[in-house]
Amino acid sequence: MEKRFEICSTDELPPGKRTIVELNGHSIGVFNVNGEYHALKNDCPHQRAPLCMGKVTGTTSATDPEKVEWEDDGQILRCPWHGWEFDIATGESVFNPHKVRARSFDTAVESTSGDTSEESAADGGCDCGAVEGDQPPVDTYEVDVEDQQVVVYL
Amino acid sequence: MSGRQVEQSTGSEDTAPTLIDCDIHQKWKDPKEVIAYLPDQYKDRGVQSPSILYDNVAEFSRRDAIPDDGSPAGSSIEKMKEHHFEEFGVDYAVLTGNSYLNLTALPNRDYAAELAVANNKWVIDNWLSEGGPFVGSLLAAPQKPERMAEMIRELGDHARVVQVVMPMASQHPYGHEYYWPMYEAAEEMGLPIAMHPYTEGHGVTRPPTGAGHPNTYFEWHTLLGTYAMGQLVSLVAEGVLAKFPDLNFVVIEGGLSWVPHFLWRMDKDWKALRAQVPYLQKPPSEYVRDQVRFTTQPIEEPDNPEHLLQILEMMHAEETVMFASDYPHWDTDSPVYALPPMSDEMEQAVMAGNAQELYGLPNNPTTLPTN
Repeated sequence: MEKRFEICSTDELPPGKRTIVELNGHSIGVFNVNGEYHALKNDCPHQRAPLCMGKVTGTTSATDPEKVEWEDDGQILRCPWHGWEFDIATGESVFNPHKVRARSFDTAVESTSGDTSEESAADGGCDCGAVEGDQPPVDTYEVDVEDQQVVVYL
Repeated sequence: MSGRQVEQSTGSEDTAPTLIDCDIHQKWKDPKEVIAYLPDQYKDRGVQSPSILYDNVAEFSRRDAIPDDGSPAGSSIEKMKEHHFEEFGVDYAVLTGNSYLNLTALPNRDYAAELAVANNKWVIDNWLSEGGPFVGSLLAAPQKPERMAEMIRELGDHARVVQVVMPMASQHPYGHEYYWPMYEAAEEMGLPIAMHPYTEGHGVTRPPTGAGHPNTYFEWHTLLGTYAMGQLVSLVAEGVLAKFPDLNFVVIEGGLSWVPHFLWRMDKDWKALRAQVPYLQKPPSEYVRDQVRFTTQPIEEPDNPEHLLQILEMMHAEETVMFASDYPHWDTDSPVYALPPMSDEMEQAVMAGNAQELYGLPNNPTTLPTN
């Protein structure tokens, strides 16, 4: 059964910000990406660096060397050690360099009236078994907002 | 050391070549032969190019390759046939030019380009028209890309022109978009682009090593692989291999043992730095494996030949490596003794199969037209 952890109030975690907390013995980063909340295990699948301390940024795409475009601004987390890029919402590595997926967990914001707001993307949640390749995955976690509190379940 | 069996070409339609030598240096007896092909305004200037800066105490050409009449090594078709092709059973000889690769280091790019064109017409008329085992390269002076593209389209449809050859050292790394018109033309004509050393540190090129100008030929020659690395990483990273997926490159005379190191390093950096090169749709090493070939000479000779075999395995030699002797130069490799014992499959691919596939050569060289 999942345990419920209150992280902070939504005021304390505005868009673009993150907080890193210790839950159940795991270091976990909780991110607000344009109003959506996501939680990732603070552990890079490559060499176990504190992934969630990395830069939040965007990335590029191109099909032609002469036309490079910037995309996903604010949605990409770069590991602070080797710069591997992960999609904060899904935990997936951007170009799947080792065919790894960072394990993601559901997040949500729940109101003071008891309404449950929308759950944010959690499609990478606990999907460790689907990972290919020789590197362990990064976990992602379920996040809710309840009573204007950011809540993580794991 | 046990040598491999020499098999003579049977000339049969059904028998695949057993030895394709991918780096044979032909030479003119007299520069006048080439001057005749120059545009009039350059005839007085003749053939000029920077000569190599370093003294080779081992002498540059093999003494045993000098024809009986004393003309330059590599200038006699008869001598080459008898001395090298018949002795080793060479089915195809890929002509790559000679020290006049250095004309591509000349600061006057118009003259350099016309000299390249003249050289190529001379090669076609005097060597490729000979038929037999000869197939050849169009020398390109990369400082004049549009003119070279025109030349590639004009001369590149000759049945025995199988590639374009450029110097390993240049003004800009070869990924630069400045050079792309040549790549477009080469891809269109189905011709791989080979890179061959010699120009390093000459004329308008960069210093011959990343550390600057060395003192001796020994230093320059030891580091030839580093130039190949510089050009290759540029071709991969600037997206040439991605943009021209049907274009192949050949690294001649750069050695091999650095290749696994180079590929691993590129892939590792790509995992972090992919955002700088987003047009790469697969790991850099896969572009190289698909589109780049490496020739063997000068082969490295570790104390334990098994170590070299392991490197060949690491770089997928059964797809990526082609034999070259560098005849008639001083550091030539013997087709019989140079390579370590390999599996039959790898040996066939390295000695002939990979080159036959890359250059699209028929089993029987006599069926290849001479015009």
